[in-house]
Amino acid sequence: MTPDGGIRAQGVRRSFGPVHAVADVDLVAAPGRVTALIGPNGSGKTTLLLMLAGLLTPDAGTISIAGADPVTQNYAARSRTGWMPDVFGTWDSLTAREVLTTVAAAYRIDAATGRARAGELLELVHLSEFADQPAHVLSRGQKQRLGLARALVHDPDVLLLDEPASGLDPRSRVDLRVLVRRLAAEGKTVLVSSHVLTELDEMADDAVFISRGRTVATQSVADGDRPREWRVTALDPAALTAWLDENGPAYRREGDSPAVLVELAGDAAAAALLRSAVEAGIDVSSLAPAGGVLEQAYLALEEERR
Amino acid sequence: MSADVEVVEQAPAPVPGTRGTWSLSWHGLRTVTVLELRQRVRSTRWKTALIVWFLVVGLITMLTTGAFAIISGDGSTDETFGGTVYSIVVGFVLFLGLLVAPTLSSGAINGDRNAGTLATLQVTLLTPAEIVLGKLAAAWIAALAFLVASIPFLVWALVGGGVSWFALLTTVLMLALVLGVVCAIGLGFSAVVSKTSGSAVLTYLTVGGITAVLPILFGLLVPATTTTESVRVWAVEAGYTWEETTAPECEWQTQEIDVWHSERTWWLLAPNPFVVVADAQPLGDPETLGEDENMLAVLQYGVRYARTGDSGPRDWCTGVYMGEGSQPESPVEPVQVTDQLVWPWGLGFDLLLGAAGVIVAVNRLRVPTARLAQGTRVA
Repeated sequence: MTPDGGIRAQGVRRSFGPVHAVADVDLVAAPGRVTALIGPNGSGKTTLLLMLAGLLTPDAGTISIAGADPVTQNYAARSRTGWMPDVFGTWDSLTAREVLTTVAAAYRIDAATGRARAGELLELVHLSEFADQPAHVLSRGQKQRLGLARALVHDPDVLLLDEPASGLDPRSRVDLRVLVRRLAAEGKTVLVSSHVLTELDEMADDAVFISRGRTVATQSVADGDRPREWRVTALDPAALTAWLDENGPAYRREGDSPAVLVELAGDAAAAALLRSAVEAGIDVSSLAPAGGVLEQAYLALEEERR
Repeated sequence: MSADVEVVEQAPAPVPGTRGTWSLSWHGLRTVTVLELRQRVRSTRWKTALIVWFLVVGLITMLTTGAFAIISGDGSTDETFGGTVYSIVVGFVLFLGLLVAPTLSSGAINGDRNAGTLATLQVTLLTPAEIVLGKLAAAWIAALAFLVASIPFLVWALVGGGVSWFALLTTVLMLALVLGVVCAIGLGFSAVVSKTSGSAVLTYLTVGGITAVLPILFGLLVPATTTTESVRVWAVEAGYTWEETTAPECEWQTQEIDVWHSERTWWLLAPNPFVVVADAQPLGDPETLGEDENMLAVLQYGVRYARTGDSGPRDWCTGVYMGEGSQPESPVEPVQVTDQLVWPWGLGFDLLLGAAGVIVAVNRLRVPTARLAQGTRVA
């Protein structure tokens, strides 16, 4: 085992018959950071996560999970990985608490510790009041939270979350974000796949974009000084566009919306634009990034592909 | 593994070493079995099935007892009703068991796979062997519950007389083993086939194969195993006209006759669950076979006869003359059926089938998996 933890995947490939689900993926997710795995539907995210979780053998390439190779050291890799699949069933007739104690037992945790851990996790995902209800009465979002708790039972070093936010209400999404950040702060490696990009914006430190089974880009989210579009709205849209025509950067309109989109180099440029607009007497009512960093990066990649 | 029973509550090593596909621990096995049984016990379908089973077997016992009472008149021969009722109840329990057992296990793996709960077990530290054997244990325990529900009726038939307690013991033991084998076969198919209906059909076909197809094959092979041989026959004297009023003299002749060598194909009968159950009881006295009407004993006698074969001398003379006068003792000994057991071979074969089912299932649950069956998702 190598001392470096986290997830490392290199040149990973996997096909199902003629379908190349994962054609060539390179991915590094560092401990203590949240890495977003982004890609359109059918880009191979779930297949990749299955390989990382140690359920599927890659056709080629190497994977290391917290220092263990899921192909040759599957058992060791499994013991360090917490996996939350995108679609999963629950044992419907079991209560939420029993689901967690069963999983704890399956991870060879003794009964007393398992019970304590189940209580803790139910508290964590706000399911304590449903602890002794059968899982089939839980709503989709509640099941999703139970699934997250299940992935955390054995306190894994590496977390693989496949679409964790789907079906969650706004409150739970915030909770999820806080929880994921906290887990990363504890030094865990978190890989989150999603296509709700605004969600990931606030959660992720790094992003890996895959498309058609290939890694197409890797970038850091926290990178605030990368050029992107900002949305500007003024009380008098005509005055704003007139001012922009004269002084400002190039802009474009977004349909019939009174707002205009301008491409700015970074936060400093945005502040400068706002200051000069206000000084020029334009009543700017809002200036904000149009969409998240990830969304823009994603759409830019889509553009390139066309 | 044996000592682990006492230490279940003790924590297994929190930092595990490596455990392979076939590693087994009591802790892991129990986890899977408890999980499976919990789900089964909580479904109402299962309770209904048990109640229906109890009522049906009870009804059959009642009807058989009633019918026997009518046939035998006013109970003058009531000391032997046990044999008949017992064999009918056992046969029926086995028949129903063979129908129910496949449903208990043939959806255990592909059903979980379709429901998306299999992968969540596979990523844990349970080994494939623990998952498969845990599921087998749960299915078997469920099948045994049906068997236990029918024990009152078996005991009731036993009280009727004619059957020994020891026979009850061997019968119940064999029934339990046969049901376990059927569960294991179903489990194997459920790991291979992606649809639960498909694995159920294949399990029924396999059970039907050993129960019906092999005996039919045995029958079809009669011409192939029959040869014409010279056999010494204790026959009616040459030139006897049958109009005479005196009994014919019997004499030894050598005749060319067809001899069926069932001892070459008896093993086709052995895997049949009914044969296994019937043959495991102590061999009865052929003299009382007819009166007893214990069909299990008749079946046992039949397969033992088939295993013995009949190629010795024949007696075609004694008893053919219906007229007056005494006849000499027959010099031909009646065929003594072999005391060599048939059931170990049959049960051995069945157990091999069951073991094959388990091995196939464990191999299919190995992670990481290299191949996916058509149309299945791992998750």
